Order: sequence, then C-alpha cells, then structure tokens
Amino acid sequence: MIELIISLISITLQTSAPLLLASIGECIVERGGILNLGIEGAMLIGAFTGFISAYFTKNLLIGILASIIGGIAIVLFFGFLVIEMNLDQVISALAINLLSYGICIYFFRIIFSQGSLPYISELLSPIPIPILSEIPIIGMILFNQTIFVYIALISIPIAYYLIFKTRYGLSLRATGENPSIAYRLGVNVSKVRYIALIIEGIFVGIAGGTFCLSMFNVFDVRITAAKGFMAVSIVILGRWNPIGVFGGALLFGFAEALSLWIGTLIIGPISASISQLLSILPYVVTIIALLIGGRKAKGPASLGAPFSRE
Amino acid sequence: MSSQIPSFFSNDIVLHVEGIRKVYPNGVIANDNVTLSVLKGEIHAILGENGAGKTTLVNIIAGCIKPDAGEIYVNGKKVKIDNPRTAIKLGIGVVHQHFILIPTLTVIENIALSLNNSGFRLNLSKVKERIIQLSNLLNLKIDFNTKVEELPVGLKQKVEILRVLCQNANILILDEPTSVLTPIEVEEFFRILRNLKEKGCSIILITHKVKEALSISDRITIMRKGRIIKTLTPKETNEEELSLLIIGEKQNSESISFTNENNNTKKILLSVNNLNVRGDRGELSVKNVSFSLYSGEILGIAGIAGNGQKELVEALTGLRKPESGTIIIMDENVVNKKPKFLIKKGMAYIPEDRIGRGVVLTMSLAENAILKRFEESPFSNKTIMNKNSIMNYAHELIKKFGIIAPNPNIEVSNLSGGNIQRLIVARELSYNAKILIAENPTAGLDVRATDFTHRIFLDLKSKGVGILLISADLDELLKLSDRILVMYNGKIMKEFNRNEYDIYKIAKLMLGIEVN
Ligand SMILES: Nc1ncnc2c1ncn2[C@@H]1O[C@H](COP(=O)(O)OP(=O)(O)O)[C@@H](O)[C@H]1O
Ligand SMILES: [Mg+2]
Repeated sequence: MIELIISLISITLQTSAPLLLASIGECIVERGGILNLGIEGAMLIGAFTGFISAYFTKNLLIGILASIIGGIAIVLFFGFLVIEMNLDQVISALAINLLSYGICIYFFRIIFSQGSLPYISELLSPIPIPILSEIPIIGMILFNQTIFVYIALISIPIAYYLIFKTRYGLSLRATGENPSIAYRLGVNVSKVRYIALIIEGIFVGIAGGTFCLSMFNVFDVRITAAKGFMAVSIVILGRWNPIGVFGGALLFGFAEALSLWIGTLIIGPISASISQLLSILPYVVTIIALLIGGRKAKGPASLGAPFSRE
Repeated sequence: MSSQIPSFFSNDIVLHVEGIRKVYPNGVIANDNVTLSVLKGEIHAILGENGAGKTTLVNIIAGCIKPDAGEIYVNGKKVKIDNPRTAIKLGIGVVHQHFILIPTLTVIENIALSLNNSGFRLNLSKVKERIIQLSNLLNLKIDFNTKVEELPVGLKQKVEILRVLCQNANILILDEPTSVLTPIEVEEFFRILRNLKEKGCSIILITHKVKEALSISDRITIMRKGRIIKTLTPKETNEEELSLLIIGEKQNSESISFTNENNNTKKILLSVNNLNVRGDRGELSVKNVSFSLYSGEILGIAGIAGNGQKELVEALTGLRKPESGTIIIMDENVVNKKPKFLIKKGMAYIPEDRIGRGVVLTMSLAENAILKRFEESPFSNKTIMNKNSIMNYAHELIKKFGIIAPNPNIEVSNLSGGNIQRLIVARELSYNAKILIAENPTAGLDVRATDFTHRIFLDLKSKGVGILLISADLDELLKLSDRILVMYNGKIMKEFNRNEYDIYKIAKLMLGIEVN
C-alpha cells in the first residue's frame, strides 16, 4: 500500500511539472499586465521543436534546448503583436494558438511524409540526487525525478525572488498595475514586458518539452491537451503568487495523477473505460476550482489592457 | 527682478524652452510657439484657464509626449527628452495633475520605482533612509510601509513631492497642486515650496488661481489658447490685470447675486435618516447621516474627497445599496430603488466623474443628450428611434447651453471637458428635475464654464429646485449654498447656516478638528 501511495505522489510531481513551469511563466508575464492566452500554442511549439531536435540528434539535452528556443520564439512573436503592434491581447493569443497548431501539423507532415510514426528511442530518465535520494520514502519521491521536475521546483523560488525582491520585479508589478503611470515614473515598460515574455518563453518551452522528452516518446498536436489553459487557471487560483501557483499546480497535477493511478489499479474488462472516464478528472477539477477559487481573485489592475506611450 | 526674459546664455537659466508646438491628433493646437525661461531658485507660476495648454507643456518637458516642434535647454545645454526617464535623469521632477502613484504599492516601493539606482536586488532599506532624510523637509510623518491607496489625497501629494526630491530633482514642476488641498493645507504647502526654493530648487507652479500665483511666485507667465501672453512679476501687476490677461477679453462680469429666503415656507424634497453605507472594501463609509433638502435651496456638503461623499451620493442616486436608514423623496422611501425609478421621481445627477459616469464617450453628442429619455416620444416609439427629432433636440441644447461642437453627430470623446459638462447639465436639466445632486460640478472647469454652471444652479434654485451640492471647493460652497454640512470620516460634523459661515472653522472640521 505504501508503495502505491509513493508512486501516486511521484506521479503527481511528474504531471505537475509542466503545469508548474507553464503557470510560473504565465504568472510572471501577468504580473506585468500581459495576459498570454497563447501559452497553449507556445507549449505545443516547445514540444514540437524539442521532439524534432531530439529525434534527429538523438540527444535529449539538445531537445530541451530546442524546446526553450521554440518557446521563446513564439512567445516573443506574441510580444511583438501586443507590444509593438499594440494589437488586442486576446485576439493575438487566438492567432498564436492557431498559428502554432498550423506550424506543427504542417512541418510534421513535411518532415515525416511517409513511413511509420516517428518516435524517440529513449526518454529522459530520472536523475537520482546522490545521498538525498537514499533517504527512505521521501528520497524516492523527491530526489529521484527527471530534470524537468527539478527545474519546475527551482522555478518557484526563482520567480518569487524575481517578482518580490528585485528592482526588475518592482517595475514588473508596477507595470501590471498601471503601465502608463509606470512609464511616467521612468519604467521602460516595453523592455520590462519583453523580459517577462522571454522568461515565460523559457519556462513554457521546457514545459512543452516534458511531454515529448520525458512522458511520451512520440509527438501529436493533441499532446499538450489544454495544459496551457490550465496553467492560466492555476495562475488565477494561485493569486498571481508563485507559492500559490505551486499549490494550484500540485492540485491539478494530483487530479491527473489520480486518474492515471486508479487506471492502473483496476484490472479486468472495464478497466479501459473507467480510466477513460477518469481522464476527464483534471478538467472537472479546473472548472470546480475556478468556480470556487476564482470568485474573489483580483489580479494586476491593468491585466490585458492595451498600453501605448502617448 | 526684471520681468524681461533674461539673456539666453545667462548662467541663471536652469530650464529654457523655445518655440514649443504641439498639435493633437484631433487638430487642437495645445501649444503654439511657447518660449519660456526658468531661473535658478525661482518660483515661476504659469497661469492660464482650463485648456490653455499648461498640462501639455508640462507633459512635453516631462518627456511624456513629443512636441511637433521646439527645443528644450537644461542648464544651457540642448537636450532631447523623448521619455520620462530622460527627464528624471536631467533633474526634472514632475508632480502631475493626476498623481502618478501605484495604489497597491507602498510609499517606499512607489518612490523606489522612480529612482535610477543600479543593481539587481531591490534595496528598500537604502531607499527608506533617503526618504526619512528628506521627509523632514516636508513635515511628513507617516509609516512609509503603508500602501499608497490608504493615504488621503493631501498626503499622496506629499509623497509625490517626496518622490521628486528623492530623484534629486532641482527643477520641480507642479501641475495644479493646490486643487486637491484645503485652505489650511495650501498654506503649509506654500511654506514647503518656499523652503525648497531656499535650498536652490527652481519651481514651476502651474495654476489657474490668480490669487495663488500672486502670493507665492517670483514671476508669473500667462498662457492663453496655447500661447505665452506675458511674463510679469507680482509687484508690477494685480489680480484684475491678471484675470483679464487670462481670459483675454472683458467678460460680462455682473457678479452673481445671492438671495436667501426662509426655509419655513418650503417643502422637504428629500430627507435622509440615519443612513449608513458601506464602501467598496466593506468599511462603513457613511455613518448615521441625516439631513433634509428643501425646495429652492442649495445645500452644500463640504469635505475632503474620500470622507464618504462618494458613497453618500451613490446611495442617494441608487447606485449603491445602503446598509441601513431611509431616503425619502416626496413621502416615499426610495432605498433599493433603481436609478431609473429615481429619475422618474425627478432626480437629476451631475457626477464628478464626467467621463466615466456622465457620458458615453464613444457615442455622439445627440445620443448622449437623450440617454435618459430615449424611451419617450418624440425620440422613439418604444422600438425605433426617431432620428429627426433627436437631431432637432440636440441642436436646441447646443444653442441653449452654448455647447461648442461642430454638429450633434460628433463623438463626445472629441469635446473638451467644459463642453462635456455643459452637455451633462443640459441633459440633466431637460426633464424638469426637482432634485439635483451635483458632485464637484466645477472641478477642472475654467472660469467661464464654472460661472455658467453656478448661474444655472442659482436659476434652478429660484425655480424651486432643491440642489445638493457636494464639493471639495470651499469657495464654491460658501458662494452658493444656503446651508453647509461638513462631512468628515463618514459623519456630518456640523451644520452651518449662511449667516454662520466661517471658512477657518469649516476647514478645520473638514480635517476632523473639533471646533465649538
Ligand atoms: N490627449 C489629448 N488629445 C486631444 N486633445 C487634447 C489632449 N489633451 C489635451 N487636449 C486639448 O488640448 C488643450 C490644452 O489642454 P491642457 O494642456 O490640458 O490644458 P490645461 O492644462 O491648461 O488645462 C485643450 O483644448 C484640451 O482639450
Ligand atoms: Mg491642466
């Protein structure tokens, strides 16, 4: 029994990792007043560039790097639309999501025009941290995970420090509250926002990479499965605070882990249909959590509002 | 000191602007060939009525907007100020007409934000040291870790000045700083300015109040319609001359006559009993307020913004649900009734937030004019609007109320503040209201528009309308009201009849200082 619970917690960390990475990234840009609903597409691009690179180079680390670059590129393009072109953030995000989807389908078909489904022969394996991983029980859960889980966990204090303890973070928060006042106080609003977007690009890119490099060894445009939108909900539930976001990501990750875990417990003819039914769990949790926790959420005052210098 | 503009290369000139021109996208020429010098250690007032282009000039010097032409020199060197950061680096500190503070951040954080010190880490304790050093100068004793949104407006202004001082500014530009202060606060504010001047700061004081310019400044520059008219010293001029220079033409200035009749013969239009109202954050903002408004009187409510006036007005106009108490209009309790019902009952409302509550900016003048009556004939037959009658009606209002607009189809966002106010007044008076609730009706209006509004109020009063005038401008209340209630911290502190008016007593009560 204890082993089952350990495995449940361990799976929870794995399923939480991409959610956590994406929502930490989203948390940072939203603190700067930009609502990036294009995060779903950006995650998909991260998964795609990671998969392609890892497939051809047979090197998973290059895959991670490619995920980061893909993530940054697409998020910066979103930034160009909303900051430089001053387009509506929701409309731009819609365009980004459709574009990402299109890019992935198109290039996937071109690159792998015939033959069988491409796959990566080896996934990233867990890296046990010396000594720590030998602690009974906890060691197995916490210190024998893939690099993605470690990055995700480290991203929390990094984001917290960045937002609340640095000069950049102060400018970022001010920009999110009121960009024109921040501008008048001498803040370089565009620069602050581009930096936030680059950071989000890194995190979201890695989040995408987790799917193709550590969870599944194949690519499919459905692979992100609305996790990007879930990340946006997590930011709301986490009240735009990295620590709250951590809690939210764990909750959602747990819901997913639970559905996977129960699926493995049930044996017999109905097991398949039950586990299919359970896979709806994370989405139901999203809705319930937003209905309950999203009620009094008050984000940065200028979240999503357009800003131009004059 | 000479009134002439000193020689351009004089060492004493800290700031010189030359030939500044700004035309807004809507075609308004806000600044036209503006040339001006500011000397070291002087208080230089820029005086002009609303819309003269003062704020535009400030914004150009502050790097917030780009001029179409012109040059700026700081300490004799030509500079290009294309964003606010540059201005801050040059030692130009601006306290804008609308404060630039982030309400959810603390005082220290707000100030730290504008400081140009380097480093990745946020070192708030270093900023705090500097703040404490300079705050003595302003006689500002507050907890600098409070969030700015919790400060009253007078303190917010001090925080703004503190910020500018922390930036090491030696050229201070203050845009209409006294408009948010009570008479007592203004005196202290002027003392601070003189203090800063002693320390070698040059101060540009933007104002539309002649008396203030005369009392504090070393030189006065008059601006009208985007141009510089003249620079004078207070010694060589007087109130009357300045007023004429500001307006530019002789006004028909028969003064407003005040008539005060006995209330006994009049009937009560509105009576408020033990009203309690909660504010946005759930705090009790209006505490046990009771009063009656009679026909044919102007009842003034004095108080510094943020002492419950907003919540009171919102409760009276049906925009906010009171916690308890009654509001009786002509024998009917109207608590919990919708605005539409109150309008039918004869209540008119001139909101302070003209843009947010008074008009729909993206709709035309004509559409705004019938907003409250669009369901009535002849404007519509319940389903279809009658364009012709709406147009005719709008034309009529434009003429009667002197709204300056090319045609009734113009989008309201293209009208100036004074004209938007005329439009609101026109609409509110068009349905023969018996009760008028006016909230800071002349805030931000120039002399002419203010005078117009006051005349309308007195005319309504003589016709038996009861007017509840909520105003932060004490002069206005003293001039117009038959009675004044002073509101502080949600309570009515005292009632004054017209023969008991005493500006200092009222001002003290506004600050919460008890008087007998
Ligand atoms: N952003 C803007 N767009 C168009 N017109 C403007 C804008 N700001 C100000 N104006 C117009 O420019 C003129 C000068 O305004 P302003 O500089 O605010 O004057 P002041 O500060 O002296 O009252 C006014 O007629 C005003 O309506
Ligand atoms: Mg102004």
